[in-house]
Amino acid sequence: MIDWQAIIEEHGPAVWQTAYRLLGNHADAADCFQETLVSALNVSRRQHVRNFSALLTRLVTARAIDQLRQRFHRSDCSRSTDDASAVEDEAPCPAEQVQQQELADRVRQLLHQLPAQEAEAFCLRYLNDMSYQEIAGALGISTNAAGVLLHRAKARLRELFELSAKEQERG
Amino acid sequence: MTEKEDIFEKAVESLRREPVPPGPPRELVDATMAKLAERAGSPAEMDTGNHVSQTEWLKPLRSFGRVAAAAVVLIAAGYAVGRWSAPRPPDMEQIRAAIEPAIRQDLLDETRQYVQLSLANGYLQVKDELSEQYRQDLSRVAIQTLAASNTITNELLTQLVESISTAQVKDQRRFAAALEQIELNRLRDRNQLSSAFATFAVQTEDELMQTKKDVAHVLSYALPDSRPAPYDLETPDNSNERIEK
Repeated sequence: MIDWQAIIEEHGPAVWQTAYRLLGNHADAADCFQETLVSALNVSRRQHVRNFSALLTRLVTARAIDQLRQRFHRSDCSRSTDDASAVEDEAPCPAEQVQQQELADRVRQLLHQLPAQEAEAFCLRYLNDMSYQEIAGALGISTNAAGVLLHRAKARLRELFELSAKEQERG
Repeated sequence: MTEKEDIFEKAVESLRREPVPPGPPRELVDATMAKLAERAGSPAEMDTGNHVSQTEWLKPLRSFGRVAAAAVVLIAAGYAVGRWSAPRPPDMEQIRAAIEPAIRQDLLDETRQYVQLSLANGYLQVKDELSEQYRQDLSRVAIQTLAASNTITNELLTQLVESISTAQVKDQRRFAAALEQIELNRLRDRNQLSSAFATFAVQTEDELMQTKKDVAHVLSYALPDSRPAPYDLETPDNSNERIEK
């Protein structure tokens, strides 16, 4: 019998952080949080789960990228102002904070254009600080393949970022 | 690194460091627990959220079987027609010779690209590992050097304490010898002074006795013989006894 209360208390904050960081608003992060835990319940019914932390990290990343993809397909990328006020202000300068928020939003907009596995590998590496071995274990691929996947994801994301910057300059 | 790459890295870092409100909220946890309890009562579902039974899986397989059988018949018919209508079989060696260089070149390019990517990733990993190893070695050498310097410092301090102790003992000995010499000198001077005083006293006594005799002698000339002397004169024997005392 799995103690889901204990699992949520132990891994819930990390799942919430990943969901909120990728989605950027409270409502979507809450949906993603619930979907992730329901998916984890389904996975635990099919197989024995040894590492709930890795499973939840991978599931929440995948769900968040799916939600990003759906959101930008609906062209609904508005950000709630209530959420911005809920976040504790740690930036020294408001202008710099706004600039950082814009850059983060641009990365969110571009992440959904990557193939799912590449986006997932990128988020696991650069947002969750997972090692190559951990990413390979989470995605079920070899370490070398994980490295190649990350290299491609970063190169493609950088290319998309430059393209969007050029478009912004033209616009 | 160009400015655009800097901006990209900055954007990733911004997303990574974007402040996140503490969570999950209590009500979200409660709602999730309720949902999990509700799902725990229902039969297992697939990860996509749509439960598909085994019989439903078999339905498309059956229709696929029928389509596959029709396709096999069509392919067999097409092969037969083609075989009969074909002027002559193609020259496989010629085709192979034509496409082999292109295939080899494509394969070589793909292999080279894959190896370059693998090497690039391996280089990054090796760089990280070597940096970590270098830091660890540096820390270990620093600790060893510190321990060695501590040992040497302790040895030098011990030697210094020993030399100070030795010098103090030498000084004490010299001081004691000097005090002893002073005491000996004092005793010798005292003895010499005592003997000098004794000699001086004896000589003074003798001189005094001689003076008394002379005075008595002079008085014997001046006074009549019956008249007694104003005071008794001591004999030389008495004076000698006093000197001995």
